[in-house]
Amino acid sequence: MGTSVQVSPLCGVYNENPLSYLVSIDGFNFLLDCGWNDLFDPSLLEPLSRVASTIDAVLLSHPDTLHLGALPYAMKQLGLSAPVYATEPVHRLGLLTMYDQYLSRKQVSDFDLFTLDDIDSAFQNVIRLTFSQNYHLSGKGEGIVIAPHVAGHMLGGSIWKITKDGEEVVYAVDYNHRKERHLNGTVLQSFVRPAVLITDAYNALYTNQTQSHHRDTEFLDTISKHLEVGGNVLLPVDTAGRVLELLLILEQHWSQRAFSFPIYFLTYVSSSTIDYVKSFLEWMSDSISKSFETSRDNAFLLRHVTLLINKTDLDNAPPGPKVVLASMASLEAGFARDIFVEWANDPRNLVLFTETGQFGTLARMLQSAPPPKFVKVTMSKRVPLAGEELIAYEEEQNRLKREEALRASLVKEEETKASHGPDENSSEPMVVDTKTTHDVVGSHGPAYKDILIDGFVPPSSSAAPMFPFYDNTADWDEYGEVINPDDYVIKDEDMDRGAMHAGGDVDGRLDEATASLMLDTRPSKVISNELIVTVSCSLVKMDYEGRSDGRSIKSTIAHVSPLKLVLVHATAEATEHLKQHSLNSICPHVYAPKIEETVDVTSDLCAYKVQLSEKLMSNVIFKKLGDSEVAWVDSEVGKTGSEMRCLQPMGSAAAPHKPVLVGDLKMQDFKQFLSSKGVQVEFAGGGALRCGEYVTLRKVGPTGQKGGASGPQQILIEGPLCEDYYKIRDYLYSQFYLL
Amino acid sequence: MASSSASLKRREQPMSREGDQLIVTPLGAGNEVGRSCVYMSFRGKTILFDCGINPAYSGMAALPYFDEIDPSTIDVLLITHFHLDHAASLPYFLEKTTFKGRVFMTHATKAIYKLLLTDYVKVSKVSVEDMLFDEHDINKSMDKIEVIDFHQTVEVNGIKFWCYTAGHVLGAAMFMVDIAGVRILYTGDYSREEDRHLRAAELPQFSPDICIIESTSGVQLHQSRHIREKRFTDVIHSTVAQGGRVLIPAFALGRAQELLLILDEYWANHPDLHNIPIYYASPLAKKCMAVYQTYILSMNDRIRNQFANSNPFVFKHISALNSIDDFRDVGPCVVMASPGGLQSGFSRQLFDIWCSDKRNACIIPGYMVEGTLAKTIINEPKEVTLMNGLTAPLNMQVHYISFSAHADYAQTSTFLKELMPPNIILVHGEANEMMRLKQKLFTEFPDGNTRIMNPKNCESVELYFNSEKMAKTIGRLAEKTPDVGDSVSGILVKKGFTYQIMAPDDLHVFSQLSTATVTQRITIPFSGAFGVITHRLGKIFESVDSSTDEETGLPALKVHERVTVKQESEKHISLQWSSDPISDMVSDSIVALVLNISREVPKIIVEEEVAVKSEEENGKKVEKVIYALLVSLFGDVKLGENGKLVISVDGNVAHLDKETGKVEGEHEGLKERVRVAFHRIQSAVKPIPLSAE
Repeated sequence: MGTSVQVSPLCGVYNENPLSYLVSIDGFNFLLDCGWNDLFDPSLLEPLSRVASTIDAVLLSHPDTLHLGALPYAMKQLGLSAPVYATEPVHRLGLLTMYDQYLSRKQVSDFDLFTLDDIDSAFQNVIRLTFSQNYHLSGKGEGIVIAPHVAGHMLGGSIWKITKDGEEVVYAVDYNHRKERHLNGTVLQSFVRPAVLITDAYNALYTNQTQSHHRDTEFLDTISKHLEVGGNVLLPVDTAGRVLELLLILEQHWSQRAFSFPIYFLTYVSSSTIDYVKSFLEWMSDSISKSFETSRDNAFLLRHVTLLINKTDLDNAPPGPKVVLASMASLEAGFARDIFVEWANDPRNLVLFTETGQFGTLARMLQSAPPPKFVKVTMSKRVPLAGEELIAYEEEQNRLKREEALRASLVKEEETKASHGPDENSSEPMVVDTKTTHDVVGSHGPAYKDILIDGFVPPSSSAAPMFPFYDNTADWDEYGEVINPDDYVIKDEDMDRGAMHAGGDVDGRLDEATASLMLDTRPSKVISNELIVTVSCSLVKMDYEGRSDGRSIKSTIAHVSPLKLVLVHATAEATEHLKQHSLNSICPHVYAPKIEETVDVTSDLCAYKVQLSEKLMSNVIFKKLGDSEVAWVDSEVGKTGSEMRCLQPMGSAAAPHKPVLVGDLKMQDFKQFLSSKGVQVEFAGGGALRCGEYVTLRKVGPTGQKGGASGPQQILIEGPLCEDYYKIRDYLYSQFYLL
Repeated sequence: MASSSASLKRREQPMSREGDQLIVTPLGAGNEVGRSCVYMSFRGKTILFDCGINPAYSGMAALPYFDEIDPSTIDVLLITHFHLDHAASLPYFLEKTTFKGRVFMTHATKAIYKLLLTDYVKVSKVSVEDMLFDEHDINKSMDKIEVIDFHQTVEVNGIKFWCYTAGHVLGAAMFMVDIAGVRILYTGDYSREEDRHLRAAELPQFSPDICIIESTSGVQLHQSRHIREKRFTDVIHSTVAQGGRVLIPAFALGRAQELLLILDEYWANHPDLHNIPIYYASPLAKKCMAVYQTYILSMNDRIRNQFANSNPFVFKHISALNSIDDFRDVGPCVVMASPGGLQSGFSRQLFDIWCSDKRNACIIPGYMVEGTLAKTIINEPKEVTLMNGLTAPLNMQVHYISFSAHADYAQTSTFLKELMPPNIILVHGEANEMMRLKQKLFTEFPDGNTRIMNPKNCESVELYFNSEKMAKTIGRLAEKTPDVGDSVSGILVKKGFTYQIMAPDDLHVFSQLSTATVTQRITIPFSGAFGVITHRLGKIFESVDSSTDEETGLPALKVHERVTVKQESEKHISLQWSSDPISDMVSDSIVALVLNISREVPKIIVEEEVAVKSEEENGKKVEKVIYALLVSLFGDVKLGENGKLVISVDGNVAHLDKETGKVEGEHEGLKERVRVAFHRIQSAVKPIPLSAE
């Protein structure tokens, strides 16, 4: 019987909230994405908190907050402890995104949901896979194979295929079928008839996607128009996702036009982002990897973009028009918010949004039509403590320290009492480092000298303090002093020691400023003030989200034509729209569950395995049809040694079966075929094909979106009794295989 | 699909004479080192592993034996790494032969492949007719090469393959190929030891059925990496401390980068050496540095962690030299130069200058090909011949410290013991070394379940695999699981090597194929009374149902539940049916009948009489035909007792009962064939039953 599959959304259905879904396959619980939004509202994670401890594996699809933002929090606070699977770029860029989020937040609030250490530990155990890598789970998930495939939305972004016993569950959200500068299009279309497809309806109602080169020209024109009149351009971007595409567009345009306006990429982690991205060429589009292979041009060696990691550098930059790409895209925090407030009241400036802001954020507010004239923003800033506050803080700290010390000393006393009367040989509490093994080079003398010169601290626990005394226990035999061969072995670590000190920071390179911010333990506090910002600058929004639009979503789903479809992550209208559309023309089983509603999408497919005997196969003649070969078999079940059923040839003549025509007739192709055979052929009204003078051919009955998906084809051929009729019928038969 | 869970474990010994034949033929690297190229074919799928040249020869002589195979039949060509002996005949093979399959290599391999071969074309001094390919061919080949990432599974024509890290050089891969559930591992050159920048070769998750493994190091054991490195740095340190010069002849790519990492690090830890320059004299290596600086992800964790701070391939103490003209020989220094064999070029020029000074040292860091100067000086001869033909005393110290990243005996045997492949094929090793390795491996696997082979070039290894063909019955057909003796009929769909059986109605659900029904409607001019047709049809066909058309109220007939005959108007009748061979036939006869009615009536009656000839005569005719057909198939067919036919082929006799179709006889094969033949003849000769539902 089929594999049991249950889907229950934890967040992000019937709205644009972050994505997080629980899929359980034969009792093995997958958490698909673990997202949060820029507002970091813990109430969104409530459903997750209820199931976090039962999750067996986490699959991440994209390196942005919406897809993985809650991972550190869930790991630390909600008891999520499952292994996490992601591609290398999703892991690395996701880590940087979280750093950037944390640092931006920390600047403006007393952010305490998670710390940098929590981020590090959450990402430490990510198991990294490559695209199309079939990873066999072990233990509880024995028999399940997971594989990430190209999604095309962000670098490393993946759609996940989970296979068990030949049944496929595909999780595809935020995919993009179009090829972009740095990314290949998704391979979702190559999946055929999976048992379950879980996908988003996010763009189901959005169909207005202009041609990409038109969009690019418009984008660049808008920017240069504002630069030329002396304005500044701000692009609020994400940390390490879609921004890469924008950087490439700008970089390319700048080198073609030889513009001198500076471009700044400002996030807390911008330089490490680009450093890593430079080594991710394998994950990018064919054209980028090709250009590196043939001419060693790394597309992300940015010549026109200056990477900045703090705002002061931007303030110190030479005045004049400039383009700044800064995080966060939502304008809720980060450098983008500060810059927006600074630049908003100059009509020459431009704020160019490249993606729809998250719901309820400043960016979303500004994108509404008509844009607001004024916005009220709360600006917060972290300032070092000074004056009385500092004194108060220090006193508080001192008090805490004293308490700590007091407690420690109490504990120590306890211990001392406990370890009364120590063993003579125990040199444990001794402060001096004494080498008990002989050094190969060092003679006995100096080894002791160290101790004498450095002074002697009597072990506090010893009953009778005395100098440490070592007996020279060198043994002699007839060949001289007995030596221990181990002392002369060259130590393995010798060579590595030099390099290892460099590799200390395992979890990624933090920029210097970031590091200083992290290590900055000066007492500080957050001050906030509300201000009204007059929005006189231009606000423009262009679609660089890199998602398939509604039309392509529909055709992609129709092409994949899953047996069961689960819709998530979209507004209620979009979800409903796609649901109706899919019910009408794709498949009869469409589900759009609500939060914490579990839908059972176990396939009702019956299947059993049989062995095909050599005898049977030698009698089968296959006919080739596209990728596959078909044949009719009549067989009976025979016995084999094992439990497996084996199909043998029929003992007696098989009952004749109803003949089947196999093939997919495309009227357009058939028309060409006929005309190549010298038959006059044209389309008459109503999809009928007129062949020769009298014969007409038409498809009747319900026709699906795509051939094959919705049932057998019905073809009607009619005409008067004549030679042409039989000729055309023969041509028609030649398009099919009769079984 | 069929191979998901059951085949994770090691399969039963698939050795038997029956089953499908798998052929492995080394076209190069069989009992030799160089020009790796191994041909493999199984169940109609053909794969070529590697496509190298023998660097010791030039022109056609350097190629593997491509004329043994038909390049156009090869489906997939897999290149393990960029070394010349594994990749350098690729442009020739792609551009000058009929090969039209697909080529795969890893990203890093592809990037270096181009640089390396372009350099190879430039430096190899051969006449134009000896040139196997030129730069143009290399550039064209770049477009045809596809890239594969480690662990990524690719499927081409039902051949599934993926690759593991091999550890030998940057981008080196071991390929695992899965054809219809039979797995073949081709290691290429591999090393199980992690070094400064490369990961050790991975241990594949699955045990292969065949392991084609390199045997370069034979039964040798390598020194541990740390001792090696210490010897290396000690020799260099003491030589330069005494004012000597150190020459390291090494191939530009691969080991050279490892040595540079060691040197850069050693210099960083020893400030007293900072005034002594280190050069690497290879424009090629300089160009490839960008590749090393980029594909950090293919390297080990150590490098990746260092990368977090600064790129370790941006050297601090090492500088590049373009040619000997840029080199000022003024004092102690360390120079790494190519070629590794000291045949000619920069390394040889320096060797000629430095060889007679006993303060100098030459460190040979890797495998030396027979016949090169590097191999000669290992034995420390008193004199050497310089490039200008003069002889000079060899006073410089010669050290051989092998950094070769080939698995040694210990690694090979543990690797094989972990995998336990039932078949081991040794390639890429000098004949004697290979023989020794084979002997020693025999002692390691004494149970006799493991076959170890070392074919020579063009010598085929033939193995047989009983590949069970498994099918999955799905959909409506599988609603009830059948018991022994039940029949299963349906459409068998084969895609790649997976089989599915399904009901015709389910075809569009489980495959991309679809079924179709063709409805035919023809109109025939007929002006007589419809009743005549009814009458005539009733005489010929067993079942004719008459009714009236609901819309027009005109009479209609349904013949054999298949063909509807309707009166359309005064002048026309129409026939409608859904296509299949029997209905087509029925309709044809109706058409003929209708046409004949309007011509002459009596003829049909005559024919009718003819048709009602005796059953007996018919039966005789049938018997004659059966006999004639059997004779044409089996030759000797006699009529035996009780009406049985006696068929004898090659002394084997079978008795066939014509009535029941039963066959008796000793020989199973003959029995089966006679049975099938008779069954087919019968279904061809006997009339088709009309009730086919």
